[in-house]
Amino acid sequence: MVLLAKIALGFGATVLLAGAYTFRQGLIRVDVDETRGEEHHVHVWAPAAIVPMAMHFVVPRGRMLDAEERSAKFMPLVHAVAKELQKYPEAELVEVHDGEQYVRVRTHDGNLLIDASEPGQTVHVSCPLATIDDVSRELAALAPAS
Amino acid sequence: MTHRTRNLLPVFAFLAAAFLFFPLGTPAQTSSAQSSTSAHGERWLHVRVISTTSKGETVRVNVPLELAEKVLPAIDHDRLHNGKVRIGCMDCDGVDVRTIFEAVRSSKDGEFVTVQSNETDISVMKKEGMLFVHVHEKNKPKHSQVEVKVPMKVVEALLSGSKDELDITAGLRALASQGDVELVSVKDDENTVRVWLDSKNVTID
Repeated sequence: MVLLAKIALGFGATVLLAGAYTFRQGLIRVDVDETRGEEHHVHVWAPAAIVPMAMHFVVPRGRMLDAEERSAKFMPLVHAVAKELQKYPEAELVEVHDGEQYVRVRTHDGNLLIDASEPGQTVHVSCPLATIDDVSRELAALAPAS
Repeated sequence: MTHRTRNLLPVFAFLAAAFLFFPLGTPAQTSSAQSSTSAHGERWLHVRVISTTSKGETVRVNVPLELAEKVLPAIDHDRLHNGKVRIGCMDCDGVDVRTIFEAVRSSKDGEFVTVQSNETDISVMKKEGMLFVHVHEKNKPKHSQVEVKVPMKVVEALLSGSKDELDITAGLRALASQGDVELVSVKDDENTVRVWLDSKNVTID
């Protein structure tokens, strides 16, 4: 009985530690709710820690190279913005109200948050800045050396 | 080590690991009550546009100057390269803008341009290291008041590049060394535009 309890404790601790490690970098969250016409709801929550791993082990190298080629022009900018924004973990960057349309871009807890809404549609995106930085670096690393 | 202590080892290991990993996420939560004053030395450029039309459009932009300074060189688009914007008409219609700025910079304080008409009043003056431009359009319903205040050091920094370009990065660097200042103020019957610099990371109206 004691042995079983020890095994259960070890297993539970491992699961908790793995969970803590996976979620310590935060969550990537995308919520899209469209209530105009045919209703669509998209809610994606994923631990940010898996993104660099997925880029390494899940996405085929050909697709990664394609992504690098398409985004190469913007990656230095994305990398610079993500790197610099990490110095401002709590900041209101942009807020636009135009009648019933609303856009807000801010950082909170080291995440980049984008909220947009218009009648019949709301979009909320949250992504850790460190993850954006990681992804931009991963993609830049794929670029052929000049 | 006693038998009882040995049994508790997994618990201690778990607690130690938990303390190691969990605190990474918590400090941000405790600091979530946003402070309006930024960390020491941070300078923020704010833009606010408020429209009083029926739609009531409002735009608020807050940009840390240091971020803009670091990010601008990463933009390579159209006329903007390496933090410098290429201005084709720096020598506009035979008027050498750079020479005029140089003349203004080296001259004493005073009012350089005064235009007064039934429709518009314009004045350009230099005072205490600042260049002021006032434009007052009196024609109703387009009654408007534009005030631009630019530190001369910023003008010099903008013109520090080659002849046909403005060095925006140098301008931002020079701007960062200035105190709190309202750079642009535009008021007309429908819109209010303000561009200013301070140490707060939020727009306080």
